[in-house]
Amino acid sequence: MSCASAGAGRTLFKLSPLLLPLIVLFAGGLALAAAQSFGFFLPFPYEGGTLDAYRKLLEPHYLASAGLSFFVALTSAVISVAVGAVVAYLIWRLPDRFERAVVIYKVPLILPHIAVAFIVLVFWSKSGVISSIGYHLGLVETVSEFPSVLFSGNGFGMILAYIYKEIPFTILLTYAVLKRMNPQQIQTARMLGAGEGRVFTRIVLPHMARTLHTAFIILFLYSFGAFDIPFLLGESSPGMLSIEAYNLYFRRELADRPAAMAILTCMFLFSLGFIWLYTRVAASMKSRERKL
Amino acid sequence: MARRLLTAVFAVLLICMAGCGGPDIADEDWLEKDFSAARAAAEGSTVRFYMWGGSAQINEWVDTYLAGEVREKYGITLVRVPMDASVFVNKLLTEKAAGREKGTIDLLWINGENFKACREAEALFGPYAEKLPNYNQYVDKELAAYDFGFPVDGYETPYGKAQFVFEFDPERDNGRPGSFAELEQWVKEHPGKFTYPQPPDFTGSAFIRQAFYAVTGGVDQYLKGWDQDLFERNAPKLWEYLNRLEPYLWQGGQSYPKDVAALDTLFARGEVDINMSYHPMHAQNKIMEGLYPESVRTFVMKEGAIFNLHFNAIPFNASNKAGAMVVANFLMSPEAQFSKLRPENWGDFPGIDVSRLSQEQREAFEKVDLGEATLGAEVLSNAAVPEVAAEYVEALEKGWEENVLR
Repeated sequence: MSCASAGAGRTLFKLSPLLLPLIVLFAGGLALAAAQSFGFFLPFPYEGGTLDAYRKLLEPHYLASAGLSFFVALTSAVISVAVGAVVAYLIWRLPDRFERAVVIYKVPLILPHIAVAFIVLVFWSKSGVISSIGYHLGLVETVSEFPSVLFSGNGFGMILAYIYKEIPFTILLTYAVLKRMNPQQIQTARMLGAGEGRVFTRIVLPHMARTLHTAFIILFLYSFGAFDIPFLLGESSPGMLSIEAYNLYFRRELADRPAAMAILTCMFLFSLGFIWLYTRVAASMKSRERKL
Repeated sequence: MARRLLTAVFAVLLICMAGCGGPDIADEDWLEKDFSAARAAAEGSTVRFYMWGGSAQINEWVDTYLAGEVREKYGITLVRVPMDASVFVNKLLTEKAAGREKGTIDLLWINGENFKACREAEALFGPYAEKLPNYNQYVDKELAAYDFGFPVDGYETPYGKAQFVFEFDPERDNGRPGSFAELEQWVKEHPGKFTYPQPPDFTGSAFIRQAFYAVTGGVDQYLKGWDQDLFERNAPKLWEYLNRLEPYLWQGGQSYPKDVAALDTLFARGEVDINMSYHPMHAQNKIMEGLYPESVRTFVMKEGAIFNLHFNAIPFNASNKAGAMVVANFLMSPEAQFSKLRPENWGDFPGIDVSRLSQEQREAFEKVDLGEATLGAEVLSNAAVPEVAAEYVEALEKGWEENVLR
């Protein structure tokens, strides 16, 4: 243990020319954001009290906004990881001659998020491609009867965009892990009479688990804090937290800036707490597995 | 993009050069002298015109027509510096705070709360308006006396005029409301077919102002400046009105388009049947761009349509005040206003009073083809109602979030 930490210390020391400016800039920016959220170091006279900005965040509107951000991030990350894991396994099982063909799953990875947002907009809005197909097939009588997928207050538009982008991400990560797995393990299990579902849950899933946890944390935190997709596909009320912070900072009075900073500070703290809690839960799950 | 960048770099270089040498015309007090003296001094100088750069058409008009004319007529080199108004106002206020006597900006395209901010910080030069012959000759001074309810006092000169209009397509056969009372009826009969951009979007904010006038008994009561009591008494009527509309709006009022461009798209695709714009020729421009069908028309409500003038101003520390005055004066000339009016050039309504022009000039203005979709000047001027004090704008935007959005 002590040996390992000494090694880490040396690595840190060697990296310090790179790390120091990073820490100073990053921590400095963070400290400034936190200070401004308490009403200090603002470039204008601020009359509110130290905790006013945080008190403001307790309004139902901001709580709903936090709830929506959490819901969108959780739903999109869960769906992406679950679907991505299964698809990666199916791809892995395909005969080798298909290997070249399945690279199409990588297409959404190349697209920027904003482009994905536009694709969702074009396809899923009431006057979009899917709705006109439905109209031509006679599924809906008028285009306006098409159910509101976007902008209906439940974040479905954003979730669609995220899973379109994130499923391939999960596939990419897990497929790489699967390639290192020995297929004979599965053949053995099959010979011993394990069914398809059992093979997946008992052999494949544990093999991918670590990667899936990592993917989940990355995807969850990304959609929790991202701006571009909510900017195009987000609802007005409640809005995603990133949009609320943007509006408070740029589109409202100067006196609202501490509240914007308070949102950002809370989001940062939440993200840290989430990583901590999640890794602990994941670790305890693993140790329980070992006992079995 | 690369060209823009080059232009910007070039502009910065020019600014440095002008700052370092050349004839010094900053020190004279042009408010004491005749315009002809300023005109003589401006010969061969450079004017840096800071303006919003978001419209390719407007940029081109400034770069070709305006720059060409002032060079030919007055020997002035015009450099356009594209920048959002809030950014250059910040820059100017910083220069003021730093006590910088020779600034980088000569002429500003400005209005509304940005003008108010600059005036309150005493960052503008003036009163210079009455020094300019074209101002005295062509401008309706009563009309140009206030900018969003804030007294102009000769610190700005008008440049153009915009007015709030609605747009619809008669071919869609849904008709259109003629007043705000009818709008409520119309919206209830056509659920999902109407919405407005989410304030503080400029156009969405103007729409709720428009509704505010309509449901609280007209604009006249608000013209005496900010009155908190009056606002608090009247605003609930507006929230009630908008909340009555809300369940019948696009997406049941769950979401609002985030800006007017988003509403334009909804309208073009037929998701909503009524669009709005603070630019009377917007529909015509969209038709010319091929984004709207030819059949789209504009209309105004019975209760009137808000208009505002947009202005030019000169910073307190402009290093070429004389040149700036000459350009501002030229912008109020009938020929510049005429060129600006033509839809293929810009399509901006005159900031001057056309009735003061000669018979021949007036006819030329009237003959400009504004396009089928644009309302006639007479309809618009009959419907014109003024903007109110900037405090109302802020209070309405804030109140809307608290009472309608949530």
